[in-house]
Amino acid sequence: MLLLLCWLVPAAWAAQPFGTDLKGRPVDNLAPSGSRAVVLFFAASDCPISNRYIPEIERLAREFSPEGVRFWWVYPNPEDTSQVVRSHDAQFDIHAEDVLDTDQLLTRMAHATITPEVAVFVPSSDGLREMYRGRIDNRYVSLGQERPSATRHDLEDAIRAVLANRPVAKPGGPAVGCSIVPRNLP
Amino acid sequence: MKILHWIWILIGLGACALPGLLHPRPRVHAAESRVTWSRQIAPIVYRHCAACHHPGGAGPFSLLRYQDARRRAPQMLDVTQSRFMPPWLPAPGYGDFADSRRLSDEDVDLIKRWVESGAPEGNPAEAPAPPHYDATWQMGKPDLILSVERPFTLRASGTDVFRNFVLPYPLAQTHFIRAMEVLPSTPQIVHHANVLIDRTASFRHQHRTNWRDGVPGMELEVDSGNTFAPDSHFLFWKPDTPVLVEAPGMPWRLDPGNDLILNMHLKPSGKPEIISAKIGLYFAEEPATKHPMLLQLDADSELDIPPGDRNFVVQDELKLPVDVEVLGVYPHAHYLGRVLEGWAMLPNGEKKWLIRIPNWDIDRQSVYRYRAPVLLPRGTVLHMRYVYDNSDDNIHNPHDPPVRVRAGNQSTDEMAHLWLQVLPVHVPRDGPDPRLLLEQAWMQHRLERRPGDYIALYNLASASAALGRYAEAATLYRRLLSAHPNDARAMNSLGAALERAGDNQGAEQAFTQAIALSPDTCDAGYNLAALEVKSSRFADAEHQFRDLLLHCAADAGIRSGLGVALQGEGNAAAAREEFQRALDLDPENFTALYHLGELAIESGQPEQAVDLLQAAAKDRPDDLDTREHLAMAFAQSGRAADALSQLRDAIRLSPADASLHALLSQVLAGSGELQQAIEEQNQALHLQPNDPDGWNNLGVLEARTGKTAAARSDFEHALRLAPDHAQARANLAHLPPA
Repeated sequence: MLLLLCWLVPAAWAAQPFGTDLKGRPVDNLAPSGSRAVVLFFAASDCPISNRYIPEIERLAREFSPEGVRFWWVYPNPEDTSQVVRSHDAQFDIHAEDVLDTDQLLTRMAHATITPEVAVFVPSSDGLREMYRGRIDNRYVSLGQERPSATRHDLEDAIRAVLANRPVAKPGGPAVGCSIVPRNLP
Repeated sequence: MKILHWIWILIGLGACALPGLLHPRPRVHAAESRVTWSRQIAPIVYRHCAACHHPGGAGPFSLLRYQDARRRAPQMLDVTQSRFMPPWLPAPGYGDFADSRRLSDEDVDLIKRWVESGAPEGNPAEAPAPPHYDATWQMGKPDLILSVERPFTLRASGTDVFRNFVLPYPLAQTHFIRAMEVLPSTPQIVHHANVLIDRTASFRHQHRTNWRDGVPGMELEVDSGNTFAPDSHFLFWKPDTPVLVEAPGMPWRLDPGNDLILNMHLKPSGKPEIISAKIGLYFAEEPATKHPMLLQLDADSELDIPPGDRNFVVQDELKLPVDVEVLGVYPHAHYLGRVLEGWAMLPNGEKKWLIRIPNWDIDRQSVYRYRAPVLLPRGTVLHMRYVYDNSDDNIHNPHDPPVRVRAGNQSTDEMAHLWLQVLPVHVPRDGPDPRLLLEQAWMQHRLERRPGDYIALYNLASASAALGRYAEAATLYRRLLSAHPNDARAMNSLGAALERAGDNQGAEQAFTQAIALSPDTCDAGYNLAALEVKSSRFADAEHQFRDLLLHCAADAGIRSGLGVALQGEGNAAAAREEFQRALDLDPENFTALYHLGELAIESGQPEQAVDLLQAAAKDRPDDLDTREHLAMAFAQSGRAADALSQLRDAIRLSPADASLHALLSQVLAGSGELQQAIEEQNQALHLQPNDPDGWNNLGVLEARTGKTAAARSDFEHALRLAPDHAQARANLAHLPPA
């Protein structure tokens, strides 16, 4: 299954930043110059499956950051305040670029519904083009259906395809984890 | 469906036309049954989910508050629809289990309606109070807490980890355990844990250098030693049942020198986790009065699953030699298992399901206890049938692409086990231990399937010996030795069986060979020395015991054995010293207590003898010699009443023992109860009519009560049996003429 042209969003949102970093500063540019791809990792500090993917995301970041792939850890849930995320980062020894998706702009932009879930974008002259969205790999088939280890690495394959200017395959199955909590709840 | 739909619409229309008469019932029903957290969902969650889903619990998040549940509502819908949660594998209707976590269809439906209607809270005042969970021991401070020696660091990611931690039992006394709690330190990463009792610390000895760090492996085998102490309890821990409480009368035993092995299934969490588990033990005040046993059906030897095979079936069966109640069941396979079934075919042809798991998942394995014990009469055949899927459709398949898989103890190997906890019932009073009969049937069956099964052959031989079938045991040990000629333990056991069968020569030969095969282990040397004592070859025995003292660590048994040899050689002083050394090592050493008591009687110190023999009798209340000697010591200390009560107890234990009746007769005579004394002596002679001393003694008692004619006939009887009986002849001469 090929995905040639997808969602298109501006790389820098003029009217509104994408979210804030842990110090409360606006994040308004996801793809600084030199970025060849942008990966959004939708995470939740209290979601066990999301947490179990931390080492995998870190591995991919180590491998692909030198090639210009920018990894953002996006926290969409209202519970994940800067304080919670900071202590979670310390607990899991995470050194990453965090975005608090305070208005769930990134969530809507990527159509993310689950943590963990990822989206891969490519910067272009007219904004960010979504190339991939969905699961990281196939370890989890559904809640309670888990492989001993992953046998298909959808996100890694997507990044490689993007970097090689090859067509990107759709994910082989749904993302499995915890639902993202809508911000508009009373 | 269509017709119903029409009716619905008609009623709806009617309601519009005649609102007062035709009330739209479905709508009213819907309004009344608006599902809210407070009214319907909180009670379900508190009953079925909160045991794990509370702050600090094993569940990944809490569900105690409405806000928590609302946040998880979409997931709650998913996992209850798929029945992933609450975790419960057995199909309903195939065994009635206690603590079933399965939600009723009504509850599942309520959750669905709640989530789909926006997960409303309702009136908070209607919600029940959330349950309270203590972060520490659920039953209060345990009597004994064992801790893993060195904390283990679980890596952040990767496949699940199976690790075994050894926790030595540090006490010098036996205790019976009525309850156990495992505190895993980080409950969220511990999937489940099994606790095994290693009676001989064999696992620790196998892993001398690394046991403190924990030993990897999914399954393990331990050596249960020389006494028959079959595994009896499922010591299985899972997050929702933190405390394992045993049924009344059924605590499990821990002896000095035992180890507990904590076999843990760990799930990496995303960050390195430190596991520093503790086991809390609660002691029972009384020893066990009921003795269950774990039986296993297995088909490991048939596991040879070709890659791609999605329907590989294995089976096993076992016929019960005694009536049992099944208390619990523990099915076990690894990642390829798909359908796991166990059932019983009763002698009357009835099929009774024990368990059926239609979608096996090792991550959710558990022990299942029956709500009421399942009675299975003797002659029932237990069955297991497991189906494996080694295709790549099986997402649990650890191999990509699939490879041929056989039995083994790594998670990438397979297993086919069905464990049952059974309690023998309707046990005849004078019959053998029914667990030995179960062991025998089980091991015989294993041998039929796998004639070379070393453990089965060894266990079968041991069971035969324990059942008193020594010749049969010897044959089985010989069969084992023909395949494993250098097995010192089997050779030693052969010697013991031959000795019991009366073949002392064969026994000596076997013990000597066993010593040659394994000069460092002392069992055979000890048995040889004991055999020499028994054959009154005291000098040889002394030599052998002294040899053992050079090889083996200080051992009370060897010291007291040496004492017995020395006593046999007539060296009472040296014997006494050795017995004393034995008691220094083990104040409860029976042999030393008994023989020191005997020596005290001989040297005219009956009070000291009473103390020693009372201690010995405490250790072995059923030992008749001890009671007999204790009675003698009481009699010599002038405590006739105590002596009589000892002897009467002893006679209760062994009513057909002539010497006990004779001794009782003498004590009675000593306290002036001549008539009773005559009765007891008659009883003794009834049991052992060819005893000239007995007839002589009866004659004396008859003479003392003035029954001269009867006395004369008794003395003459003694003399007919033993014409040289000087005492009888002299007594006869003393009788007044007829």
